[in-house]
Amino acid sequence: MNIILISMILALAIPIYEACQDEDVWQKMLAFASIASKTSIMILVISVLRDDWMIGVVGVLILSVGNAALMLLAQIIKRISD
Amino acid sequence: MINAISYVLMGIGIFFWFWGTWPLVGHRSVLYKLHSLSVADTLGSMLIVVGLLLKIPREWPLLVLAILSLAIWNTVLGYVLAYCSSDTKETGT
Repeated sequence: MNIILISMILALAIPIYEACQDEDVWQKMLAFASIASKTSIMILVISVLRDDWMIGVVGVLILSVGNAALMLLAQIIKRISD
Repeated sequence: MINAISYVLMGIGIFFWFWGTWPLVGHRSVLYKLHSLSVADTLGSMLIVVGLLLKIPREWPLLVLAILSLAIWNTVLGYVLAYCSSDTKETGT
């Protein structure tokens, strides 16, 4: 289980690096969407690892509300850049 | 036995994560990256959650909700991101 978590953190480092080095706003949005879904899955894994129901609820909330917020942010960026 | 299957599922899911996230680093178009990311990321995440579901079947309402929101939201988000990014490109040129 620890190995799974470490490899997940390694996979999470790729979009973080991409968000830091790329200047284009859509590439950054893409990296942020990837970071959001990866972190919420990591929260779910940790909740099963610790056998804690409450952490899992937080993960599912981030999974649903965070993606909706990213969608709204994309719309706002498009409106501003038009 | 079920424990081993869940570990294998999670391993395949993490492999999918790396496979889908690796093209992010290169200098390709946004749509190419979006395609690889949305397909492989959603599939990998769903495999990991199914692995967790096999490991602890007691928490199935939460994990089924996670799978459903992954399947719906990542598809919608991919569509919206593709629509927004391609639209600004057309007006930009």
